[in-house]
Amino acid sequence: MSSSNSILNVSGLSKSFVEGTQERVVLDNLSLTLREGELVVLLGRSGSGKSTLLNLISGLDVPSAGTVQFGDTSLSTLKEEDRTLFRRKQIGFIFQSFNLIPTLTVLENVLLPIELSGTVSKAEESKAKHILDTVGLGDRMNSFPDVLSGGEQQRVAIARAIAHDPVLILADEPTGNLDFETAQTVLELLQHLIHDVNRTMLIATHDREIIELADRVFTLQRGVLKELDAENEALN
Amino acid sequence: MSSLFRKVLYLSVFFMLGLLVAFFLRSPDALREEANDSMPLSKAMKSDTTGYERATGPIDFSFPADHGAHPTFKTEWWYYTGNVTGTDGRRFGFQLTFFRSALSPMVGISDDPESDWISDQLYMAHFSMSDVENETFYASERFSRGSLGLAGAEGIPYRIWLDDWSAEQVSEASFFPIRLIASEGDVSLDLVVDEGKPAVYQGDRGYDQKGDDPGNASYYYSFTRLPVDGTISIGEERFVVSGQAWKDHEWSTSALGEAEVGWDWFSLQLSDGRDLMVYSLRQNDGSESRHAVGMVHDENGTSRRLNVGEYTIETNANWTSPKSGITYPSRWTLSIPSESVELEITPRIPNQELNVTIQYWEGAVSVEGISNGSPVTGSGFVELTGYQPN
Amino acid sequence: MRSSLLWRSSVRYLFTHPLLTGLSILGVALGVAVVVGIDFANVSSERAFRLSSSLVTGTATHQIVGAGNELDDTLYAELRVEYGFRKAAPVVEGYASYGGESEGTLQVLGVDLLVESSFRSFIGGAQSSLDLGQFMGPSSVGLLSEETALSLGIELGDTLKINISGIPHEVVLLDFVRGLSDLDRQAMSNLLVVDIGTAQRLFSGAGKLSRIDLIISPEEIDQGRLSSLENWLPSNVRLQKASSRGNALDQMTKAFTLNLQALSLLALVVGMFLIYNIMTFSVVQRAPTIGRFRALGVTQKEIYGTIISESLIIGVSGTVLGLLGGVMLGNGLVNLVSQTINDLYFVLEVRELTLAPFTLLKGAILGVGMTLVASLLPAREATTAATTTVLRRSSDETRMAAALPRLIWSSLGAAVVALLLLVAPGKSLVISYLALLLVLLSFALMTPPAVTLCTRWIRPILGKMGGVVGKMAARGVETSLSRTGVAIAALMIAISSTIGVGVMVESFRGTVDQWLSYTLSADVYISPPSPVFRRNDATIIQDVERDIRALDGISGAYAVRTARVQMNDFQNDLIIVDPRPGPTESYRFKEGDITSLPERFASDNVVKISEPFSYRHDIHAGDTLQINTDNGRIPFEVAAVYFDYASDVGAVMISRNVYNRHFDDPFVSGIALVASPGTDVDNLIERVQQVVGGRQEVFIRSNRSLRQASLDVFDRTFTITQVLRLLAVLIAFVGVLSALMALQLERGKELAIMRANGLTPRQVWLYVTTQTGLMGLLAGLFAVPLGLILAYVLVFVINKRSFGWTLQMDYSPDVLLQAVVLAIIAALLAGIYPAMKMASANPVSALRED
Repeated sequence: MSSSNSILNVSGLSKSFVEGTQERVVLDNLSLTLREGELVVLLGRSGSGKSTLLNLISGLDVPSAGTVQFGDTSLSTLKEEDRTLFRRKQIGFIFQSFNLIPTLTVLENVLLPIELSGTVSKAEESKAKHILDTVGLGDRMNSFPDVLSGGEQQRVAIARAIAHDPVLILADEPTGNLDFETAQTVLELLQHLIHDVNRTMLIATHDREIIELADRVFTLQRGVLKELDAENEALN
Repeated sequence: MSSLFRKVLYLSVFFMLGLLVAFFLRSPDALREEANDSMPLSKAMKSDTTGYERATGPIDFSFPADHGAHPTFKTEWWYYTGNVTGTDGRRFGFQLTFFRSALSPMVGISDDPESDWISDQLYMAHFSMSDVENETFYASERFSRGSLGLAGAEGIPYRIWLDDWSAEQVSEASFFPIRLIASEGDVSLDLVVDEGKPAVYQGDRGYDQKGDDPGNASYYYSFTRLPVDGTISIGEERFVVSGQAWKDHEWSTSALGEAEVGWDWFSLQLSDGRDLMVYSLRQNDGSESRHAVGMVHDENGTSRRLNVGEYTIETNANWTSPKSGITYPSRWTLSIPSESVELEITPRIPNQELNVTIQYWEGAVSVEGISNGSPVTGSGFVELTGYQPN
Repeated sequence: MRSSLLWRSSVRYLFTHPLLTGLSILGVALGVAVVVGIDFANVSSERAFRLSSSLVTGTATHQIVGAGNELDDTLYAELRVEYGFRKAAPVVEGYASYGGESEGTLQVLGVDLLVESSFRSFIGGAQSSLDLGQFMGPSSVGLLSEETALSLGIELGDTLKINISGIPHEVVLLDFVRGLSDLDRQAMSNLLVVDIGTAQRLFSGAGKLSRIDLIISPEEIDQGRLSSLENWLPSNVRLQKASSRGNALDQMTKAFTLNLQALSLLALVVGMFLIYNIMTFSVVQRAPTIGRFRALGVTQKEIYGTIISESLIIGVSGTVLGLLGGVMLGNGLVNLVSQTINDLYFVLEVRELTLAPFTLLKGAILGVGMTLVASLLPAREATTAATTTVLRRSSDETRMAAALPRLIWSSLGAAVVALLLLVAPGKSLVISYLALLLVLLSFALMTPPAVTLCTRWIRPILGKMGGVVGKMAARGVETSLSRTGVAIAALMIAISSTIGVGVMVESFRGTVDQWLSYTLSADVYISPPSPVFRRNDATIIQDVERDIRALDGISGAYAVRTARVQMNDFQNDLIIVDPRPGPTESYRFKEGDITSLPERFASDNVVKISEPFSYRHDIHAGDTLQINTDNGRIPFEVAAVYFDYASDVGAVMISRNVYNRHFDDPFVSGIALVASPGTDVDNLIERVQQVVGGRQEVFIRSNRSLRQASLDVFDRTFTITQVLRLLAVLIAFVGVLSALMALQLERGKELAIMRANGLTPRQVWLYVTTQTGLMGLLAGLFAVPLGLILAYVLVFVINKRSFGWTLQMDYSPDVLLQAVVLAIIAALLAGIYPAMKMASANPVSALRED
């Protein structure tokens, strides 16, 4: 457990959706602090609100109540445009369904977040290539995503998520669409990348295997967040 | 940040702009060159003469019919020139000339039942005015076909006209007096020419040989001194004037010889009552044609023909027209030793060039010198044709 | 800040769907091409007219014209010699036809070269080498531009054979008109310059001039020269501005060209639907990708910009292609336009297409602008697409379903506004077309609700016929309303415009046919060939006329003459007729007391006016018309307004007796013979031919063949309308094709799943064709009421406001049936390719895809 500064403060966060005439509470008065360099796992069943929480943290969605605070920036006070700009710079995304852009090559997909934040310098391009090398796809840089396997696609997504040095990487079921062995490879890669460069990462998953990598683990059940004692969990 | 998209976009935008610019730039009007449609009179007088009647020898004139047109001849003109003075002493020179030119030797085609317009008679008229005090010269011309009453020349009664310019006998009873009317812009004249000295028949009883060929001649008679009075208007000003006019009437088919390019013609009215007419025909090598002749018309009406060699005309000065670039002689000494005449002839103003379809110089002159051994003054008109731009 | 990767993704998308991209470009291109082509044709005709009229008018500022077609040339001589007016030039003009290798019409301009130079410098100035004696001489000689001579295949000294009012003439080409500017050369393209005497001879107009051209400077007008000249002129002539003649002719074709423009815009409107459809599709299809971009931090603005830029690519490339296509189309259309103008209004020869920059600009702005406008909604839709990582298509359809009531209300709103505009008084064509556009909009908005309703009815029927596949197809149309609605609307608009225009033309033709049947009551019609079909102002040789009247076996010979006359403050055709004895009246009347009409018409100063004339000038029975006659200006009472479809400019009819009292013009332009009982008409025609002999070429037509000839010309004048109608259908076809393709591509996965679950390729075929056929059927059915409404508006509002005609709406159910069949066939044809593609698609790859 590292004792660095906190980079994300979530407090009193609630989100509810209206379905027909019924209001369904997904997240209820939830608070969370992430510190720099730690890997936090968010454990929960399908439909427990993990994705919603990630969407709120990334500013893709707005909370019904509560705040999301990155350092000095309070996401909930920003306008849609500014939230998008914030997200583009500060957050890397890894999705269960990879979500690569089908019309861009592997390298272009990785370069996309960098390019969105400004022009791509030679250094940045070689860095992106280096990252692709690191994830073992140095030879597939000019392929389009649809010819890659699931594991390869997810590795591209991981490379894309870290390429522009975001403050926080959000991963939503990163191994959800992968077989056991591929998932292992991806997880090792993630752990390796995170700890090597001291990045902060929040992984939402129902996969208990991932807990092993975590600095801290939270569970999300019926919209309520609880931190899990590592030893306790290990006992189970 | 160049990319395929940008290229496609730029290319198509430029292509469209290019297309538009190309059409905007298509020059709507090519500059049209000003056609120089002036021609020397000699050329006009030497064109094809087949089928026309020719002046081959002296004839008996029949007046007043012969005052009118002779359409079987190719060319004909009626000249009125004169020097007049206003009641306030201002001097003016005027010219009103009607030219007739047959376009074809077929006579009588004017009687086409299908159209009154068809005509082989082309009329041209020149009107000029010299305002001596202001050193200003006004000249204009008109054209018309000789049909539909637009222009014509009739002997009985006497009426030469083109549009509203005319020389017309005033009373049914007699040829004289003749009223001259012409106006162009704000210059106009309305003069009455009365009977003066009787007519002089130029050359051999009016048969005036001008080239080597027998047919290169004209019929030619002049009224050398006719009293004239009336009004002249220039701009807002109107002058009551009187003075002396000179009238020529000449017709021919081919007056000039092949080598002859033009002439210098002098008509002078002297204070001792004598009138002189001399001309020199110039050849294309610059020499004087041997057909150049003159005439002295005495106060009492007797006249004598001057033969080649009896007189000399010496040019003392030249004047170059700023408009046409043609250099004309501009002051002369006329010597007729046999008549004890030595005269200095000076244009009243230097620029009396008519810049019309046919370019020439014709203007009022003043005369000073000796006639019959006594000092005389006088006035007259000089016509210089066939000069080319330098 | 823009991302080049975003562009790259965008461009790759366009390139991976080349057919759709291509079709949308084609849609824009066709729309632009039609608008630009029509505009080119109009502009070229107008320019050709302006050029030749300005060339012929020259620098003249004013003109002296007679009461009728001409004035005495002695007035000209008096003007010069007595009045002393110098800047005056006499003109005799007319038209001559030439045969030989190519047929056509020459404008003959008779001038006096000696006074021309300050008027028409191209004739007067540069001709110093011309043999004046020959030109002004007794034999007919003329001048042409070198290009015209070349195109007529004659050289200097050759004889040009021309025909004027059926009388052959020969004119020797004396010289070329030289030193012309490019512009003059174009204007000179059908001009034969002859001496004024020659012109009088050619047109048998001894002593007559068409007009006298004058130059009067503004200073001279200030000095009162104009008014003193006016005072001097006799009362039977008129001094007018030189420009007024051109303006009058221009005015004649104004409604005609405006209607063409409106029809061409219809093509663009259909094209706009197409763009809207394709852009919407591309946005929806990419919704997941857009969602990912958004998740990665691409802003709404950037997405918006990307979509708009995509449409710009399509718009610009389509416009560029369209402009080029417009030039090609214009080349074809200009002939149709000028042919129509020649048939209806005046002689016009358009030798080349004028590529007016303004037209290109207009086309470019319309093409790009309309594409952008059509993309605004899809682009907005893209930005508001949910940012979540998975976007569900159904939400789109749910929104559509929710929007149905709103659509119905907007549709009704548009209909109400359209109705208000239509019933509003006034003559504005622009407002009428705006109303028409609103009607279209109203129907387009009503399409999705109507489709929902119809598919619900049709589903059970299709279920019985096509089983589950049929039901699915119907359901598919309904559930993907957001796509199919637009495609059906586009097809409906195109089809309805063919119905509307078709019914309008048919009604018009029916009305004209009926009118001809009661108007043409004589048996044989004789008239010399005239340059403009509907304006017969050529004249019959008087001897020929006399001999025809003397023929046996006729119970009546009635002459007609058309003369252009100054009346009130305009010029118009005056039709001079021999009144028929007895009560038979071959015209039907809209206004006026008919009982006393025959006697009054035969002897009093009264005229009858045609309906278009009445409408155009707002003159009615009982009003007074001031007509300039050879006796000066005389008031005529308008006794009646008659129905007439011969001229949209309108005509004034006067009896020969009354005309002769006021005009010195014994000529006739045509004679109608009534055969006496027992006379064989064919035999009568033969005898007329014999008596005319070779003196003059005349048309001798039986009642039936004249009626046929009239209808042929009628059909010819509507050719261009039919062409435009077809082009609109073509664009609609492209629209339906692209909409269906988009739809089927979008359904790729759905179909693949069904294929995986056992749907056979044959069933896919059935599914797709049933669906497209159903869409075509719906479009066709909706097009019927819309088409009839359009026809109603065209017949009763636009025709009325353009030309003042009362037409009977008259159509056969065939037109409607054809339209529905056309819609179904267009849809089925458009479905073939997508169906083929879907059926042959490998379900595995379709499933794998993204």
